[in-house]
Amino acid sequence: MKVVKNLVAAFSMKAEFASRRNKLYRIAYSWSHDPVLADDLVQETIYKALKNASRLRDVKTIDSWLYRILYNCWQDYLRVKGRNVEFVESYDDESADQTDNYQQAQIVKRVRASVEQLPLPLREVVTLADFAGFSYEQIAEITDIPIGTVMSRLFRARKNLKQQLLEFGSDELTVSKLRRVK
Amino acid sequence: MNIKDMTEDKLNLFIDEQLDTDEMNEIREALLDDKELREQVCQLKAVRELIGYAYSEVPPSRHEDSNKKRSGSIFGRAIAASVTLVVGVVLGWSTYEYSPNATPAISAQNTFQYVANHVKAAYGERKIVLHIDSSDVQVVNAALNEADQLLATYRKANTPMKLDIVTNKSGINILRPGVSPYIARIRELIDDNDDVAIYACNRSIAKALKKEGVEIVLMPEVTKDKSARELIPQRLEKGWVYIKA
Repeated sequence: MKVVKNLVAAFSMKAEFASRRNKLYRIAYSWSHDPVLADDLVQETIYKALKNASRLRDVKTIDSWLYRILYNCWQDYLRVKGRNVEFVESYDDESADQTDNYQQAQIVKRVRASVEQLPLPLREVVTLADFAGFSYEQIAEITDIPIGTVMSRLFRARKNLKQQLLEFGSDELTVSKLRRVK
Repeated sequence: MNIKDMTEDKLNLFIDEQLDTDEMNEIREALLDDKELREQVCQLKAVRELIGYAYSEVPPSRHEDSNKKRSGSIFGRAIAASVTLVVGVVLGWSTYEYSPNATPAISAQNTFQYVANHVKAAYGERKIVLHIDSSDVQVVNAALNEADQLLATYRKANTPMKLDIVTNKSGINILRPGVSPYIARIRELIDDNDDVAIYACNRSIAKALKKEGVEIVLMPEVTKDKSARELIPQRLEKGWVYIKA
């Protein structure tokens, strides 16, 4: 009976992880800007999560627990590769090809490029907050840094992005106006 | 609260709803009167929204690829729908006029304002409160044009939208039959859209009565039991988007 119970628990845990896979992948992609690496990080995260599922004491904390594992996998990768590794995003990626609207693709491209220019610690925090929607406390737990540091990184990241995107807003406007005149 | 006393850190805490109730209300009050502060808040919100948007569609993982081949991706279609709406928003930038004082050229700030106001519509019902506190022709025309444009945009995107138009100060005059040239236009707005409601500030009505010494008669469709200072913060607390004409 205990075996059946454990099996059911294992299957249900696997389903919980699988349902979060896409979002984990998007966060991994926002950090690495590399689809293959992001996929590998998520595979490793799910593998480690399944292996250590018994350590998850409260299912309510599953999100921050999973992202903590993902964050650790990412940090392990950076340690091996060297913190200063440069990531070069391919702007001819599929998401840009799929859209038939030039301006929309430009905005996505520009926002991602702006995020990519952020120092990694800022990039990690701002995507966890503004894309994944985690609270300051959850981000502190995931990244294992004090909450004050989370806040200062998040605010610096937003300030930096705001500046870059405001400049883009002006450029984009010029392009739109020129197109309208034509 | 003065803009000079407001640090950007505090505004970040405000948009993330990390301040206590009193501080949140204090900033909401300040937002009603301070255009520069509103722009700062809108820009921060826009940054937050754009990050979410930029990563809502990324190159598919190998795992997603294999799933797509088997069953197609409903999630992908949902993302595509939201992207389509945002495309509409982006295209709207070139014709958008937010402020009645805006020149034909659209500033980067307005671009951000527009994104902040519209991007989230892809995720559910949009609720907007449009605040008119003037009867100046340019202000009122710009506000009513904004209302028409918002309603048309969301109707086209098949996205539910609630629009509350809150008037106070001399803005209540636009609702006075026999005085206002906008009565027919406002009535048309109400008749054509079930989700549009018009409010007049009871304090402003009382002040006008005291000043003019005659009863202030407004269109019968207008709700007038609360002040703008009560109505607007109540909506902001519930996540409504605020637009000041």
